[in-house]
Amino acid sequence: MKEYEIVIGLEVHIELATNSKIFCSCSAKFGGEQNEHVCPACCGMPGMLPVVNRHVVDLGMTAGMMLGCHINRTTTFDKKSYYYPDLPGSYQTTQWFAPVAVNGTVKIKTSKGEKDIRIKQIHMEEDAGKLVHDDWTDTTLVDFNRTSVPLIEIVSQPDLSSAEEVVAYLERLRSLLRFAKVSECRMEQGSMRCDVNLSVRPVGQKEYGVRTEMKNMNSISAIERAIAYEAARHIDAIENGTEELVQETRRWDDIKGMSFAMRNKETAGDYRYFPDPNVMPVVIDDAWYESIESSLPEFPEKKRERYITELGLGEYDAEFLTESRAFCDAFEEAYAECGLAKEAANWLITNCMNLLNRKQMTADMLKINGRALGVLIKLVSDGTVSHANAKKILEVMFDEDIDPKKYAEENGYIVSNDTGKIEEVVKTIIAANPKSVADYKNGKEKALMAIFGQCMRELKGNCDPNVLRELILKNI
Amino acid sequence: MDREVLRRLEKLNQLALTEEEKNDFLAFYAAKESELASLDAVDTENVERMVHVMPIYTVVREDVVIKKFEREDLQKGAPETTDGYWQVPRLVE
Repeated sequence: MKEYEIVIGLEVHIELATNSKIFCSCSAKFGGEQNEHVCPACCGMPGMLPVVNRHVVDLGMTAGMMLGCHINRTTTFDKKSYYYPDLPGSYQTTQWFAPVAVNGTVKIKTSKGEKDIRIKQIHMEEDAGKLVHDDWTDTTLVDFNRTSVPLIEIVSQPDLSSAEEVVAYLERLRSLLRFAKVSECRMEQGSMRCDVNLSVRPVGQKEYGVRTEMKNMNSISAIERAIAYEAARHIDAIENGTEELVQETRRWDDIKGMSFAMRNKETAGDYRYFPDPNVMPVVIDDAWYESIESSLPEFPEKKRERYITELGLGEYDAEFLTESRAFCDAFEEAYAECGLAKEAANWLITNCMNLLNRKQMTADMLKINGRALGVLIKLVSDGTVSHANAKKILEVMFDEDIDPKKYAEENGYIVSNDTGKIEEVVKTIIAANPKSVADYKNGKEKALMAIFGQCMRELKGNCDPNVLRELILKNI
Repeated sequence: MDREVLRRLEKLNQLALTEEEKNDFLAFYAAKESELASLDAVDTENVERMVHVMPIYTVVREDVVIKKFEREDLQKGAPETTDGYWQVPRLVE
């Protein structure tokens, strides 16, 4: 058998993190009662005119800049003819002639080293609605909530050649776009969707093979499986003549582990793209361009390097924090407040992550006030609040924006320096536990811990453990 | 433009033209094509692409949610609805 190489180009759809839709003021929120987020514009009533959401252009530009693209300073919208009831106007408003961003690069890392994946273009467009096929009445039910929710489509050049590279590319896109707050990129909610264009050719051949487009992969692992299956199907067809390969769109069925033909691939001509006469060109002036450029976040790997070299964090901690923008923001705010980088990292990675796990939340959902966290860390490091009590305060901070110092004072979490009071408690506990005292005196070290624990409980943890230990030894 | 292209356009645009209409279209396009061909003589090298005939640009709106319409009102003109959905003939891909 000849050796084959796989050629893959990706079209990645990203739902933008906006409040409202791209051309009307309806909510762009995921979910909701069917057809609650609709108006005459997004349900295709005649005569309605679209008005561009400025923030969509902001995020389109941001994505373009994060992926090293050239930004088209005059960008235009076009109509793509598409006859299907999930887009009630019978067309999708998208960008064909002058997309917002073109010619970028994304650097990926795989087991074979680094590779540049070229980005052909990023265009802004509206999403389609949702269709539910109702077997009972043998009809189709239409929900327009998602119609006109803003998307960007990131089109790569056919530079990818394995499932591993595709996964690295998607993870890189997700990390950059989450960092820049372009989108939450949640595949399971459909806010990141990926179509895989795949062909195979014998190694050394210049011409591309027959290309198929695969849709409907809902996770990165499903994409990996789909690529493996589709490449094998192509090679089998070429080698053994099992079937004739045709250019078409195929649907991936993850349960069956197979792809199925959906429809013959439309050519660009069939879509009859033409400039949308209802949306005038969007002109990005210098002030607008610069405001976006200056708001770009530091790239995750730059941050990671800075955390290690300037703030003295270990590699693991720096890596962990820079996987999420929310963690970076909280860390930097906390550090600015307390000046203790290692402690701030520890509190986030250990305690905050524990709380997130308990609430079944992901790192990006962290919403803690970083400055307040810095205050709390200071309270612990100068001995004002015990570590155990600080953890209790952190739990409250997770749900409410509180002042930790004030909260500690109001709830009796300030460590007492009143040794007289501590000694009183120690004497009472010792008197009430003659057995533990006797055990300790007979050489059972552990018995001391029982007394220590009871004293701590009595003092509600507000006591320097070293002071307490000394006072117990003195009185025993 | 020939009969095959016209047949495809007819299908894509969900039209059903009569034989007479088809002949009219073909005659119309035949005349237009020679007119359009005269444009090929124009040198457009280094001419910036025109995006609109008028020098006008879009206005943009702020990203604010405004709910002005109720589902019941929007669906008043619909032939069929069920549970808040628009209901249409079954579609199978």
